[in-house]
Amino acid sequence: MILRPANLPELPGLLARARECGERISSFDLSAFNRVMEHKAEDMTATAEAGVSLADLQERLAERGQWLPVDPPRPERLSLGALLGGNESGPHRFGCGTVRDYLLGIKVVLADGRIVSFGGKVVKNVAGYDLGKLFIGSRGSLGVIVEAVFKLCPRPEAEMFVEARFAALDEAGTAIEAVLNSGLAPAVLDLHKALPAAAQFTVVLGFAGPREDVQWQLGCAADLGFRQASSLQYEEEFWDGRSGSGEGEVVRKVAVLPSKLIGTVQSLGVPFVARAGNGIMYYRGPAAGQKSERPLKLAQRLKQTFDPLNVLPDAPV
Amino acid sequence: MLFRLDGDTAGVYRDSMREEQPLVLRPQVRDALAEIVGEPNVISGAERLLVYECDAYTLEKRTPDAVVLPRTTPEVARVVRLCAQYQLPIIPRGAGTSLSGSVLAVTGGVMIGLSRMNSILEIDYRNRRALVEAGCVNAWITQAVKARGLLFAPDPSSQSACTIGGNVAMNAGGPHTLKLGVTSNHVLGFELVLPDGEVVWLGAPPDGGEDAEGYDLRGAAIGCEGMFGVVTRVLVRLIKAPPACKTLLGVFESVDDASQTVSDIIAAGIIPAAVEMMDQIITQAVEAAYHFGFPLDAGAVLIVELDGLAASLERQAARVSELCRKNRAREVRVAKSEQERADLWKSRKRAFGAIGRISPNFLTQDGVVPRSKLPEIMRFIAATSQKYGLRIPNVFHAGDGNIHPLVLYDERQPEQVNKAVSAGTEILEKCIELGGSVTGEHGIGVEKIDFMQKQFSSASLEVMQALRRVFDPETRCNPHKMFPGSKRCVDFVPRKQIAA
Repeated sequence: MILRPANLPELPGLLARARECGERISSFDLSAFNRVMEHKAEDMTATAEAGVSLADLQERLAERGQWLPVDPPRPERLSLGALLGGNESGPHRFGCGTVRDYLLGIKVVLADGRIVSFGGKVVKNVAGYDLGKLFIGSRGSLGVIVEAVFKLCPRPEAEMFVEARFAALDEAGTAIEAVLNSGLAPAVLDLHKALPAAAQFTVVLGFAGPREDVQWQLGCAADLGFRQASSLQYEEEFWDGRSGSGEGEVVRKVAVLPSKLIGTVQSLGVPFVARAGNGIMYYRGPAAGQKSERPLKLAQRLKQTFDPLNVLPDAPV
Repeated sequence: MLFRLDGDTAGVYRDSMREEQPLVLRPQVRDALAEIVGEPNVISGAERLLVYECDAYTLEKRTPDAVVLPRTTPEVARVVRLCAQYQLPIIPRGAGTSLSGSVLAVTGGVMIGLSRMNSILEIDYRNRRALVEAGCVNAWITQAVKARGLLFAPDPSSQSACTIGGNVAMNAGGPHTLKLGVTSNHVLGFELVLPDGEVVWLGAPPDGGEDAEGYDLRGAAIGCEGMFGVVTRVLVRLIKAPPACKTLLGVFESVDDASQTVSDIIAAGIIPAAVEMMDQIITQAVEAAYHFGFPLDAGAVLIVELDGLAASLERQAARVSELCRKNRAREVRVAKSEQERADLWKSRKRAFGAIGRISPNFLTQDGVVPRSKLPEIMRFIAATSQKYGLRIPNVFHAGDGNIHPLVLYDERQPEQVNKAVSAGTEILEKCIELGGSVTGEHGIGVEKIDFMQKQFSSASLEVMQALRRVFDPETRCNPHKMFPGSKRCVDFVPRKQIAA
C-alpha cells in the first residue's frame, strides 16, 4: 500500500492503522509536504519538506544564487524524500560529492508514530549520533523522512562542458588517466556510450567555478584533446531511455574501484553512463558483478529496532 | 512500543547499577589479557595508570582498571571478547586528545589503546585512498602522500598527535572543514570490532566501489564517540592538494567588524578554505609566545585562506580585501611566502597553548551558531565575560560559525571555578537559542551531557540510545558518555591545563 498523508499530524495515525492491520507500506506519497520552509542565503542553508521536488527547491535557491550541489536524473520528478531515501546522485558527484555531504538535519516519523529530529541547522555539528546518515539510502525502511535541512553552495559563476570521443574503450581510459594526472579540477568526469547507436565512447569534462578558472581549464583540456563543446544531454537521454533499446528495463548501478571501471564497462557491452572519477556506472540489462560482504547482522538488528512489526518498506540491498 | 524496553529504557541505568560493585581487575583477567597482548602491553597499577586518568578534558578524572596495547585486529577482538565474558567496560583510546572527556574511564574497565596499531598499510594513489591502522596519527597521512600532490582533508588542531581512529570516533573537524567537510566526508569505510568481539567492515571495502550497498552504518557510526566498538583500520579518501593558495590576515578594530566581514565573504559567494578569528587577548598571547608580528592593539584579526586554481585567486583575494576594508579593517596583509603562511597557521593552531601564559586555567567551549548570528553570539560572550568578571578570549572557526570561547579562571579561587562553569553553560545555551549546537567538533563526551536534553527531544535521545544498542546491546563500550542519566566521576579536580 502507498501511504498518502495529507499532513504531518495525520501521519502517525496512518502508520498506527498499518501496524494494526499488519499491512506493509510499499512507498509514501508526500506530495502534500511541499513547503520550502526557509532559505537562509547568508547561512547557506535551507529547510524543506520531503515532498518538495528537487527541481522546485533548486529553482527557489537559484533566486539567491545558490544550489544544493547534487544533480540526479529527473529532478522535477524526484522528491527530496526520494533523493535522500535513494541516495541519488548525478554527474557532479565527482566535484561536489553526494547528498550525504550536504544533509545537516532531518525530521523523521518512526514506524511507531513518534516524530524525531537529528542534526540541526548549522554546518558543523557533532552533538549526538549522526542519525541523518542512517536514513540516507535507507529507502524508507527505517522511518518516513518528512523534513530536511541542507547545506548549500553558491552557484558557480561559470560552467562549461567539453568532450572527446574514442573508438576504443582503452583509449578513453587513457584519456581519463591523463585528466586525473593533470592540474585540472573538473566537477564532472563522465564516460558514456549512452545510446546503442553510438559507435564511440565519449569522455565528458565539466568545469565549474570562477570564470578565470573555467577558462584556464578549457585551455588545458584542449591540450589533452578535449576540444568539442558538450553538455549533459546524454545523461537525460540515457535516463529517459529515449534510444528505444532497453526502454522499460530497470537501470542498474555498479560501483567499482575507479581504476577498474574500464574493465567492468568492457564486460558489459550495453549502453551506459559512468561517473568515471568515482567508479560508478549505470546501465540497463542483467545484473552483473557479485555483492560485497556486508554486516548483515547489524543491518537486521537495525531494521528490527526501527520497524519491529515490519510495516515499512524493505531494507535496501 | 519501540525502544521502550520495560525498566531498561537507557543502558546507562543498568551501568550505574553495575557500578555499585567497584570493578577490581581480577588476577585471572589480567593474566588472560597479558596472554593475548603480551605482558609488556598490559598496563596496570595505580601509578602506571595515571597517564590514562583523563584526556585533554581535565576536569574529571578516573583511571581505568587496566590498559592494553594490542598490535593486531585479532588481538583487539580477543581482548574485547574477554571483556564481554567478564562484563567489563571497554574504552577505546587513540591519543587521548579529546577535549570533552570522551575517553574517560568513568566506571573503570579495560582501556584499549590503539597506539601500537599506527601503520599506514596501503596507499592507492590511482584511486586516491589509503588504508591505515586506527592508531595512525592524522598528520602522518598527509605527510606520506603530499609529495604526490594529495592530502587527507580533516585537520584538527591536534593533528600532529591525534589518531585517525579518534577522528572517526569523534567525527573530527578542523579549520579547513569550511570548504572540505569533516571526517565523515573523507572516510570511505572502516573495520570495527563490535563490543561482542565480532569484526565487521562498514562502508566501502578497500578494494570496492565507493557506494557500498545497504544501510550507511559507516556514516551512522562516525561520531559515535567510541560507543559502538573499537575502530581498528580505516580507509580514508585522499584529495588533490589545491595547486595554489592565498592567505590573508585582516586586522580589525573590533570583533563585531571582523564577524560582519565573515558574513559578507560568504554572502559574496566566496567559500574560502578557512576563515579563522582571533580576538585581542588571543593575539596578544599568541604574539607573546610565537612573535609572528600581530598588532597588539587590534580588536580582532581574521585569517582568510583562499585556495584552488591559481587563475581566479587574485580576483578573489582582492574581493576579500575589499570586504575587509568595507568593514573598517585597519590593515589587510597577504602572506608573502609559504613560510609566512606556515607561521600564521602555527600561531593559530597553537593558540590554546599560548593561553597558558596568561591564565592558570581555562575552560574551552565548542558551540556553533548559524554564521549570520556570529556578531550576536560574540556580543553575548562579551556581556557574559563582564557579568562574571572573567576574561573570555575567542579563537575560532568563524567561517563555520564554530566558536571556541576560552573562559579563563584560576583554580586556586574556588568561586572562579563555579563562575567559569556557569559562564560556559550560558554561552552554550545561547548557541542553542540562536539555532545552533553545543558542539561543532569536540563532542559531548562527559562534559556536555547535560545539554543533550536541551538540544534534543527525549524521543530523539531514545532513538540514539536504540541505535547504540544495535551496535552494543549491553552498552558496555565507552559507557557513561553523551546521554543524560550517565554516571559521573566523583573527582572534579581542576588542574593546570596542558595545551590542547
